[in-house]
Amino acid sequence: MIFSSSSSSPSLAAAVSNNNERRDLMSTCTDLNLGLSISLSPEQRQRLDWPPIKSLLRSTLNKLAEKADENDGRHHHSQQYGSLFVKVYMEGIPIGRKLDLFAHHGYNALVTTLSHMFTIKTTNILCPDDSDDHGRVVHSSSKDYQYVLTYQDKEGDWMMVGDVPWEMFLTTVKRLKITRAGRCHS
Amino acid sequence: MESESKRKKESPNTAELAVTASFPDEVLEIVLSLLTSHRDRSSVSLVCKDWYRAERWSRTQVFIGNCYSVSPEILTRRFPNIRSVTLKGKPRFSDFNLVPPNWGADIHAWLVAFAAKYPFLEELRLKRMAVSDESLEFLASNFPNFKLLSLLSCDGFSTDGLAAIATHCKNLTELDIQENGIEDSSGSWLSCFPESFTSLEVLNFANLTSEVNTDALERLVSRCKSLKVLKVNKSISLEQLQRLLVRAPQLEELGTGSFLQDLTARPYADLESAFNNCKNIHTLSGLWEAVPLYLPALYNSCANLTFLNLSYTALQSGEFAKLVVHCPRLRRLWVLDTVEDKGLEAVGSNCPLLEELRVFPADPFDEEIIHGVTEEGFVAVSFGCRRLHYVLYFCRQMTNAAVATIVQNCPNFTHFRLCIMTPGLPDYLTNEPMDEAFGAVVKTCSKLQRLSVSGLLTDLTFEYIGKYAKNLETLSVAFAGRSDRGMQCVLEGCPKLRKLEIRDCPFGNEALLSGLEKYESMRSLWMSACNVTMNACRRLAKQMPRLNVEVMKEDGSDDSQADKVYIYRTVAGPRRDAPPSVLTL
Repeated sequence: MIFSSSSSSPSLAAAVSNNNERRDLMSTCTDLNLGLSISLSPEQRQRLDWPPIKSLLRSTLNKLAEKADENDGRHHHSQQYGSLFVKVYMEGIPIGRKLDLFAHHGYNALVTTLSHMFTIKTTNILCPDDSDDHGRVVHSSSKDYQYVLTYQDKEGDWMMVGDVPWEMFLTTVKRLKITRAGRCHS
Repeated sequence: MESESKRKKESPNTAELAVTASFPDEVLEIVLSLLTSHRDRSSVSLVCKDWYRAERWSRTQVFIGNCYSVSPEILTRRFPNIRSVTLKGKPRFSDFNLVPPNWGADIHAWLVAFAAKYPFLEELRLKRMAVSDESLEFLASNFPNFKLLSLLSCDGFSTDGLAAIATHCKNLTELDIQENGIEDSSGSWLSCFPESFTSLEVLNFANLTSEVNTDALERLVSRCKSLKVLKVNKSISLEQLQRLLVRAPQLEELGTGSFLQDLTARPYADLESAFNNCKNIHTLSGLWEAVPLYLPALYNSCANLTFLNLSYTALQSGEFAKLVVHCPRLRRLWVLDTVEDKGLEAVGSNCPLLEELRVFPADPFDEEIIHGVTEEGFVAVSFGCRRLHYVLYFCRQMTNAAVATIVQNCPNFTHFRLCIMTPGLPDYLTNEPMDEAFGAVVKTCSKLQRLSVSGLLTDLTFEYIGKYAKNLETLSVAFAGRSDRGMQCVLEGCPKLRKLEIRDCPFGNEALLSGLEKYESMRSLWMSACNVTMNACRRLAKQMPRLNVEVMKEDGSDDSQADKVYIYRTVAGPRRDAPPSVLTL
């Protein structure tokens, strides 16, 4: 196993042209005072020269990350079908949490877990508060909710949690988000 | 004698000077031999010819920050009695794969010169040098007094070279192999230490991967009674570690192997007792794959810990907080950002003596998943650890206000290295550039020696740096600035600047050439992916013959662009060992 001290030429060239693109992007952003964060393309993400971490630590971290992905399946009790970890973000908190959806039997359990994770009252989350036999949501429109629970599906669209039966939800959910009520589009 | 005639010419008022000048050379040499600081010695050598001569005869240690700034011939001619050499080679950005392979910094020519002129050489410390097995074999065979080998971020050798060292260096006290890119084919090198060999005091092979013969290791540790530092690699299990600890209770620095093993009650108790028995451990590292379950075995040892290195251990905030409660004497801490802000709050609450904090990103390449530490963790540490003066902090967001608070709490920063990992990211609360953050750092921290900047930065940051950072020696800049003016401010302003490394910034020829006179007072300048042209580099090279101007071109780039430029002062002239990809102008 030899750690080479340089990447091959083609990717370096790509990195250079990407740099020029990024600088143009940056100057545009500052001109327009957009303050946009520069998002990197997948190739850029796998760059060997940024962020500035030494090769050895970099490869060790890669292995740690791979292991973490493996272990997540092993450490937690998984049901018959293994585990389904999704990230949950709460508005205003930059650090997301991971949640095993397979460890929950329905929307109620999900909401309970989330309320513990983010210390919110269960009743303040607009989501299912009652579910019928098929796990479908029964919204109570008279309550005053502070938070809204949404999820991003396979197509990248953001939907209200609870709009489909639980089992179907599990096949399509990619990540969860808790936002303040009133900001929701619906 | 020279000094006698000097005395006659001097007036009575300079009687004091005359007394000093009449010291015999031998006495002067003895006095000067007590000076250890390289800078002091350099100053001393400039006083007068006598002192220059005495200094060069009495110098035993030499530090060369850039191996190409001087040649082996020049070195050995000036200093005849060197026993300890420290050499640094490649530019620091080679750590991040920005330097082409075979760039240079080969140790071999130096070793050949040393074999001829310093056969009594005892210590060799190399950083970012190219070292081959052949060189290591040469080293092992040509220096009978050789005691100390430290290789940091070097590449080009394999474990075969280490076997040669172990086999032949009978007086070895220290073998420290860190972070190197080497071919790790087998752990058998460790078994090459002869059974009669007992002098080892430091053994660090933590970053090698091959399994070593654990029996051989145990025997080695048993017979080396002066062993103070032992850092093993991941292949050593907890049970094996316990057996080693039992044989070396005098250890002061320990790097464990893998901390993951299914231990039943008895072996766990043995492990805990082994740790408790090592009452002198002040530095702890390794702890690969540490499972929180076994960390309590360390708790008693943690009471005296001054340096805890968890950069290979992904601990969550809760587990980490429980550990850190037991480390009240901690002065240096290296962690992964899996400990999150909560973990850093625990540091602030429990480690009032903390001086150095490094937080590395566990998941640096995943842009989508946002976790890790934020400005809050850093702020929390600054409130609790007022002696903090060295920070390396990788994060995904920061604010100007937070940095202002941090330096207000800790105004004694000497090293402030902040890496906001997304290039060009503004203050996430105000959407403004991060200029005021670094402005606060340089205005408040008058002792600042090293600074790394990041985030969205205009030229204002560099105006601040040039105006206020009067003690700054090393500056690292990436994806920042608006125009040449930024770099010019730094070059005109920072009187003690020695190393300037810049990548992906809109600095061009005007900026480069504005530093014409400055570069000879600096060790080196690196500029990559900026707006510098070949012509400007040629102009610079022509006007400044005592600088080496080297350009590394990328495939497919414009002929007129100087993609990567490395400029350094030298008395050795242009180097002759550059590969084809490096053009010396």
